[in-house]
Parts: sequence; structure tokens; C-alpha cells
Amino acid sequence: MPPPNDLSVIGRRQPRLDGAEKCSGRSVFADDVDLPGMLCGKILRSPHAHARILKIDTSKAEALPGVKAVITAAHAKGMMGGRRGAEPVFADDLVTYKGREIAAIAALDERTAEKALQLIEVEYEELPPVLIMRHALQAGAPLVQADKPGNIWSDNIDSYGEPEQAFDTADLVFEEKFSTSVTHNLFAEFHVAVVDFTLPNKLTLWTPTQTGLLMQHALGPAFGLSVSQVQIIHLNTGGAFSGRGGVRPHHYIAALLSRKTQRPVKIFAAGDEEFLVCRALGENDYRMRIAVNKDGTIKAVDMDAHMDGGAFPSEVGYFGWMAGLCNSWVFPLQGNRLRRRVVMTNTRPHFLPHGGMMLTSNAAIMQLCTKIARSLGRDPIDFLRQNAIEAGHHGLSGEVFASCGLKECLDIVRRESGWDQKYGKLPDYHGIGVGIGAMASGAKGAFKHDTSAALVKIGEDGIVTLYTGIPDMGQGTHTTMAMITAEVLGIRADQVRVVAGDTDLTPIDVGAFAQRGTVQTGNAVKNAALDARGQLARNAAAQLGADEDQLVFRGGKIYAAGNPDKCLDFARVVYGTLHSGEGRFTMGRGFYNSPLKIKTTSWSFGAQVAEVRIDPETGVVSVLRVTVAHDVGRVINPLACEGQIDGQVFSAMSQLLYEEVLSDEGMYLNPSRLEYKMPRTYEMPEISHHFVETVDPYGPFGAKEIGEGIVVTTGGAIAAAVFDALGGQYIHKVPMSPWRILRAVRARERSAVA
Amino acid sequence: MAKHMMTLTVNGDVYELMVSDNQTLLDVIRDTIRLKGTKRGCTTGACGVCCVNNAKGEAVLSCITHALEWDGESITTIEGLEANGELDAIQKAFIEFGAVQCGFCTPGVIMSAKAIVNKYPEPTEEQMNAGLAGVLCRCTGHVKVKEAVRQDHELREAARHAAAK
Repeated sequence: MPPPNDLSVIGRRQPRLDGAEKCSGRSVFADDVDLPGMLCGKILRSPHAHARILKIDTSKAEALPGVKAVITAAHAKGMMGGRRGAEPVFADDLVTYKGREIAAIAALDERTAEKALQLIEVEYEELPPVLIMRHALQAGAPLVQADKPGNIWSDNIDSYGEPEQAFDTADLVFEEKFSTSVTHNLFAEFHVAVVDFTLPNKLTLWTPTQTGLLMQHALGPAFGLSVSQVQIIHLNTGGAFSGRGGVRPHHYIAALLSRKTQRPVKIFAAGDEEFLVCRALGENDYRMRIAVNKDGTIKAVDMDAHMDGGAFPSEVGYFGWMAGLCNSWVFPLQGNRLRRRVVMTNTRPHFLPHGGMMLTSNAAIMQLCTKIARSLGRDPIDFLRQNAIEAGHHGLSGEVFASCGLKECLDIVRRESGWDQKYGKLPDYHGIGVGIGAMASGAKGAFKHDTSAALVKIGEDGIVTLYTGIPDMGQGTHTTMAMITAEVLGIRADQVRVVAGDTDLTPIDVGAFAQRGTVQTGNAVKNAALDARGQLARNAAAQLGADEDQLVFRGGKIYAAGNPDKCLDFARVVYGTLHSGEGRFTMGRGFYNSPLKIKTTSWSFGAQVAEVRIDPETGVVSVLRVTVAHDVGRVINPLACEGQIDGQVFSAMSQLLYEEVLSDEGMYLNPSRLEYKMPRTYEMPEISHHFVETVDPYGPFGAKEIGEGIVVTTGGAIAAAVFDALGGQYIHKVPMSPWRILRAVRARERSAVA
Repeated sequence: MAKHMMTLTVNGDVYELMVSDNQTLLDVIRDTIRLKGTKRGCTTGACGVCCVNNAKGEAVLSCITHALEWDGESITTIEGLEANGELDAIQKAFIEFGAVQCGFCTPGVIMSAKAIVNKYPEPTEEQMNAGLAGVLCRCTGHVKVKEAVRQDHELREAARHAAAK
């Protein structure tokens, strides 16, 4: 795709600017940080899911040569970790899940720390645990937390529009139940924290994260420090997939150990420990109802969800809200009702999988939509297209969809997937399905502000340095930000150096979550670059005898519009601005906070078609091809956008068909990357990428997100394809593992015989 | 823990090392020689981020390999692919074709890819799939990784022609 005429950088295939570092072993990740005198930290975890701690004796561990500190809840009195500060850093007297932090060691080396862990004597009184959400809801079930009767953490109903009236008056109502399993986000880089807290007024933490700011806000108060006294360094983050949105007990524990020993401490969670530290999806049960008229109009959706939040549920209910709300981002509903009951169990605290709860809820909705289309004798793409929203639509909860290419996406995937030649014409156990989805960009509401800020410094040699706090977990945001800067200043992206990943160096940024990078940080960076450009324009306009607002910055030159022959060299203008009587140094600043009151300014939209084949002997689902069309507003970097699509198709397929943490009596049975399955190379489908550019009025150069919009839609498309391959049978549980598919295959065979 | 002297050649440099019975090749690379490009992941041979190449150019998972078994041997790590200040063709292909995202698994993926092209200069789809199956990569799903591996041969040929001229 050639770049649009008025843009010279945006729209080009730009390889990552940090590619050479990452491909040569130069990139430093948190585990590569090796500080003088650094100790190894290890955490003792509870073997019981529910127990009272009667006694902890650490004297033998403390006496072991090489052990520098042993800490327990007694050393972290009143210190609350976790999101929303609900989770004490160590179990005090009560253990509420297997793997709970009981004590921690700092020792000279890993082997000594491991040995010391075994010398800590803990006396437990085991209590009956409640390990499964269904059991937690039974009358008389043991309580996870004494002040939460019925193990209900929260119970919220939100009703938008007129759902009751829509259901009462609709011609047809379709209803099904679906459920999900426990997962892990499975990023490449394991959980790790390196802390230097050897001076009383400065805590430095090296760790992979999606947000330095939230970590500063959590750790500062816990240790009596202000936000700026906490420095988070996260230059490279080895994947996140919604799993690195906050601070975890091991971060606090590393800081406690460092403070106590007066030496830097590293805690690295490898092997099965990693599955206990992680906070991903828990078991969710959804009852989905859709009201529809015979003419195919979808009138309302009603989601009633029970969500297992584990021992400390934090914001699970909020993500459940998104999982229901997102239906009104694609359908112009008359009513949308969402009930979320967050349930507590004696299991790992749950949080978010890649794509949030929206991936699995969309897998349910798209199976239902396929069913409805079949029941009405309609083609599923026609049916979805009839119901798809358009630009200018006003949503039920105050949304205004300023740009929307949903119908165009549907048209593209119909054409590019060969849908008309395939749908309804494929052999048995070979299916094709369509999914649609939308994704909001922005986190307003999570905080009062949703601010990103940026600085653009231009050295006297014309080299531009961009300071941004947005983490790059692989999505390529730093390169995107360099491209935006380069576009504004009319230079090449590789002339921009990005300084990021260190809260001491960079201005504020809420973080790389809620799909806010390209839109929110992108606008901040654009504003900073425009500020710098304005400073240069003053000088250049005087030299060219033109008005400042008439100037064009392009190809390393500055000229008056319509007169490119009379031009100034960008670097010379920068030099001249400094080396003058005024001695002005060029430094632009900018920030962005959504002008709207609602959560977000813009939504990406997408449609996908997936084709699958099921082996009726084994139940294995092979995904053959996925055709993706995504309304990304404006493609800033096609190479990165394609990469985002590939990875998200992989992730959605993985979550939908493979990923499940199995457990027995609260003990994880497959906590390793060998047994917790993801697709391997030979299981990947063919993927085709198509972009729709709707040029959103709020996005930088019209861009919208491509972070999680894909993953949600792929989940829907593959689920619909499996439904089709099984001749219109639901799979009610994610992941759609071979044995679950096989059960549906057998049921189908039995009904055929009967 | 008994310690033993051993000799290990890493990226052409010869190291005389005192190594414990229980140290892995990964421990020696990262903690003794202090080359941090090779990553520590699962430490159980499941994720593949610790992959290095042996003298024959084959992939080796350094986290489940006893260091002492490598006395007198020679290995190549990600840092050893550059020659004369220039990246190897496979590294260039990874950058140009977008085969790197978060970068944590990248050293392991590149050393696995290198082992593939060492054995099969023009690998088939099956050879690539088999050679890359040992390294997990959620960011890319290996789609663009395979594009880069395919390009390696062409970049190498182009460089050879350029040198001949």
C-alpha cells in the first residue's frame, strides 16, 4: 500500500528501530540486569489452598550461611498489594490459595536461597477450601473471606437502553450458556523483579510492565515514598498480552528484601511458580440471550455472568462489564443488559487474558449469531451486515462512533475468503465462520485523566530525540511514535531516537493498556513534535519570507507550500536556531488527554472469516485460513500492523482451542510451557491482512488501535467456523479442546443414527 | 559441589572456566562469561529462548545441558553471529521482514533459524516448521519469522554476487 500523497513517513513499511539491538542480543531485559552485590530472592509459597498459619519458624533458615534476610508478614504489616490494594503482600494468619506468599529469602546465590526455603518451618491448620466457582456458590460453602457472604465479591447490573421491552416484544429469543477455563498470558519473558532500595528515598525497580505509572502509584505509598521517588525501568518488556497491567506481590517482596539487606535483590519466577504469579483468566460462566426479529434485526443482548475472581478478585467485574458492553459497539441495540457476579474461590487471583473477557464472550455471541442466521435462513455475513453499526452511530452508553468501517470490513472478508463459494458448500467437518468485533482505545474512567505526555529534543546536528513513557512490549509503539515525530518534522523515522522505559527520564504516560498507545500517546507525541516544529518555523519563515503556517516540512527540507525549489535544510535551520544571538534550543512538549468524558474517543472495527477442519476421529481442530479486515483508521506502519494481526490470530486461536490450566484439588497439573499447550509453527493457519482506513478525527493522522481488536474478532470467527463444521452445534466451553469437540462429534453421530 | 576446570570456546573466544557439577551451559554463558543475549526462560527445555548452536551449527537448548559435558567444545551464541561489524543475513532478514516484536525469544528463535539454514540453505515449509517448533513466540506466531528464514538465502546470494563484482 503506497503512503497517501500528503504523508511521507506514515504508511511506509518501517522495520523496528530497535530491531538490530533485539536481533543481536544487545537488548537488556530485567533478568539481564546484574548489579554489584545483588542477592537472589526466593519466595516460600503455601502448599495449601485454605489454611490458618499457626506458627512460622525462620530461625534455621536465618542461620544458614549465605542467607542475608528472611521476611514474613511480620515485616510487611499493613502493606497491601494487588490491584485496588486489596491483597496483603504476604499471607498474615490466613492462606486463601495454593501458592500464596508466606515468607521470602534473600541469599548470596540461588542454591542457598532454595536450601533456605526448605528450612523455614510453617505449621498450618488446614481448612476446607472452595476451589470451583460452582461449589463457592452453594449454600454452606466455606467462605474465602469472612466478610463476603456467599463468596460474592461483587454483583452489578448495568442496563442500557430498554432491554426488557426489547426482549418482551422481539419475535425470537436465543439463549445459550458458555464457560471459560483458567489460563496464563504466556508471554516470553518470565516474571522478574530487580530492586535497588538501598537508599531510603529512592526505590528503583527493573521489571517488565505495561505501565510504569501504575507501579509508581502502587509502590510509592506502600513504602512511604512519593511517586517520583519510585523509578521503574522497563526498557524492554518481553510480551504482555494484558498480563502485566499492575504490581504483584513479588515486586513488593523484592523491595522489602532490598531495603532490609541494603543490597539489590532479584526475584525470578521460573517453572511452575510462574503460573502462580500470573493473573490471567479464571473460570467464567456466561448466559447469553439475544432478542431478534424475524426480519433479522438484533434488538437486544443480555449477558448474565458469573466470574471467578479467585482469592482476590480486584477488577474482574470491570472487565466483565466490557465483555457485555462491546456488543453495543457493533450492533445498534435497543437494549443491552449486563449482570456480573464476581465470585471468590480459594484459587490464584484472576485478572485478564489477552483480549480481555471479550474474546470468549465474542466466541459465544458469534456462535449464537451463526445459529440465528441459520434459523432465519440467512447468510451469516448478510445477517451481521444488516445489523452492523455505521459511522455517526450513537451508542447506548454515551458513545459516539466518529469513524466506522465495519460494513466495509465485512465486504472485504466475504470477497477475499471466497465465502460465497464455500459457505454451506463445504464437506462434513469442514467449516467456515465469520466474526465481527470492535475495540475501544483509552482508559479514561480508570483514572480521572488518561494523560500521555512527550518531549521532543532536537540536537544541533538535527538528530531528534523523543522521550515517551509508553512501554513497548513488542507491539512496536516506539517505532510508531518515531514515525509520527518524523512525519511532523519532515525527516526519516530512523533520524528519531526514542528514549523510553525509565520513569526518571520520561514524562507521564498512563501506560500501554486499554489500547491507548497509538491514539493517546500518539497524539501526545504529535503535539510535542508540532511544538518543536513551531519553534523552527519561526526561524525558517523569516529566512524564506513566508508565513509560518504556510511552511511544509518534508524530506529533510523546509519550504513554503507550492514552492519546494526554494528550500532550507532541516538540520541547518536547527543549527541556526541555536547558533544565533537568541541561542534558542529546540525542545517541543506535548500532552494529550481525551477531550471526551467517556472512556474513549475511538473504536477500531474488524471482520474476519476463519476456515477450519475437524478430525472426527481425534477431535482436533485445524485452522486452515483466517482472512482479516480491520478498520485501523490509518495504517501508520503496515509491517507492524501485519505483525499485530499475525500475533493476535495466533493468540486467539491459542486461547480458543488450546489454552487451559488444569488443576486437581487446587494443584496445577500442567504449569509448564510444554504441557500448557499453544499452537506450534505447523499448526498456524494462512493469514491474509486487509486494512480499511476510515481516518478517525481523534486519532493521530486518523489512526486507531490494532492492539486487541483483532484477537477478539478472531475468537468469534473461529468459534463460528467450528460451529459450522459441526453442522450447527455449539461448543459451550473454551478452550474447544479435542475431547470437547469429540463429545460434540459423537452427539452428532448419535443423532444422525437416530 | 565439586568444581572442575573446563575449556569452552564461545563465539571464537577460548575460556578456561571453573564449573560446578550442577551448572548448565546457560548458567555458564550468562553468569560466568556474562553474555546476556542468550535468555533464561523456563529452564526446563520447554520454551526455547536459551537456544545456542554447537560446532556443527545445530540447535542446542543450553538450559537443559550440563556445562561440563561441553569441555573442549565450541558454541555460537546470538552475539557470535555478527562478523566484521555487520549483522548476519538472518539477523538482517529478521529486522527487515518484521520477524521480531518483543524480542525476548528472538535470540532463541534466530539461533533455531540459523540451525535450519545451516542444514538446509533453502528450507521447505516442513523443515522450517520442525526447526522452529521448539521456540514459543506469542508475538509473531512465527508467521513473519518464516518469511525471514525464507529470505535468508536470497540475502546471502545477493551479498555473494555483490562481493564477486
